[in-house]
Amino acid sequence: MSLLQIAGLRGGYAAADEIVKGADLRVDAGEIVALIGPNGAGKSTLLKLIAGLLRPSGGSVRFKEHEIAGLGAPVISRRGLSFVPQERNVFGTMSVAENLEMGGFIDGAHARKRMAELYERFPMLGEKRRAAARTLSGGQRQILAMAIALMNAPDMLLLDEPTAGLSPRAAEELFGTILALNKTGVAILMVEQNALEALSVSARAYVLVQGRPEHEGRAADLADDPTVRDLFLGGKAGPMVDAHIPLPR
Amino acid sequence: MIILQALVNGIVSGTLLAVPAIGFTAMFAVLRFPNFSVSGVATLGAFAGYLAYGAGLQMAGSLAIAFAVAGVAGLAFDKVAHLPLIKQGALPAAIASIATGLILENVVRLGFGNEPRGYDRPIARDVFLGEIRVSPQQLETMGLALLLMLLVFAALAFTRIGKAMRASADNPELAALKGIRPERIATLASFVGMGLVGVGGMLLGLDSSIDPLTGTRILLSLFAAAVLGGLGSVPGAVLGAFLIGMAEELSVLVVGSQYRAAIGFIAILAVLTLRPRGLLGERAY
Repeated sequence: MSLLQIAGLRGGYAAADEIVKGADLRVDAGEIVALIGPNGAGKSTLLKLIAGLLRPSGGSVRFKEHEIAGLGAPVISRRGLSFVPQERNVFGTMSVAENLEMGGFIDGAHARKRMAELYERFPMLGEKRRAAARTLSGGQRQILAMAIALMNAPDMLLLDEPTAGLSPRAAEELFGTILALNKTGVAILMVEQNALEALSVSARAYVLVQGRPEHEGRAADLADDPTVRDLFLGGKAGPMVDAHIPLPR
Repeated sequence: MIILQALVNGIVSGTLLAVPAIGFTAMFAVLRFPNFSVSGVATLGAFAGYLAYGAGLQMAGSLAIAFAVAGVAGLAFDKVAHLPLIKQGALPAAIASIATGLILENVVRLGFGNEPRGYDRPIARDVFLGEIRVSPQQLETMGLALLLMLLVFAALAFTRIGKAMRASADNPELAALKGIRPERIATLASFVGMGLVGVGGMLLGLDSSIDPLTGTRILLSLFAAAVLGGLGSVPGAVLGAFLIGMAEELSVLVVGSQYRAAIGFIAILAVLTLRPRGLLGERAY
């Protein structure tokens, strides 16, 4: 049984403006799944529908075998599904320590212990625990955003373009962090513009086109798929792509 | 020496103004509209405290009554009249709050008439610091206002619910994702904010007298203090209140007391022109 199972999910920012038009996907326990596709395909909207920030107009979202569609963000967060937004993903006016405390709001009894663990895992956060979150660099802020999400001890993270706006080096480090997190057993569903990098760290991937997953498969296979590569990966050979395969016209 | 006396008076009135200004700005930070019904709520709090004190309650008990009555009335008006309009934008809610402020003011007028009333406080000699004169009543109300501010700051800085309130004001979407229920924070902000406004009304009444226009008279200064410090910023409201209080008192020396109210307008105009986010910036804690 999958950890997250989505069937025929529909919805958008307004009832008349359906962006996600019947999405089916699954994420198994401990898996990293990438969600890639062109701009405006509805990737971020799909994550917001799953996280409860938007109310689905139809379809099903099952998490740990329970229906969660339409329950709202606070309840879904309590069930162990943590969403990390692309922007405004920290409390800028609050200190790093306070950000983490708010991350663990629903489970205050374990907050201190989890904060100590996170300071150990991400020493930068410990060093800057008194600094206001708005003073952190882009990469540091993304680490904090993920740490906030981890304060709930979630079973699964939904990451919306975690490397957006980061330098190549910071993006590489962040992918390393994502892999390390996944090794602790946290499943990850990740939307990424940096598709080749995302595929290189993912087990499986979906290519979303006009609100529906058009392609699905092992990340390595999708990275090698000429159609997918040409249409959605900019036609460039990536780290997992055989350079001898001629690119399709 | 007269300037020094005006400055001391300004500090006293700024301290008293800071309490309702904190309430006003805290509500703005969470609910995202300027709630002008604070004029009526401040009056209501002043009269509730007056009745409680007249009935024999001590100062702390009377302040608690002022807080509770203003908090409950303000929350009720928010739930019934203001918040249902917030989906249409901040402006309809703000306009509705002007109407509810007028309703409260006139309810008080209906019950108590227009005559000014004073708290029955013991008469005491003024305290002289050199040639600077301060009344014991001013010292007491200032002390109470400072204590209240300290409590508010401590609650926001050290308590879980205070931090959740700041988180919700800073980033409501992320706060909801972390399991902080926005409707509960809105209710808390409304109750506590209006409670502080009510206590502010009572403290101002202790310093002078009360009538149905008690709240209306401070509305402009209170709004100017919040805008000057940065709407949504609690320390900003305190800073703004002190600056407005002192500027109003000093202006009396220069242009006469009839133009005192102009200070608020000038402050708002200057801030909106030169530094629209206010001195400490919006939403800063």
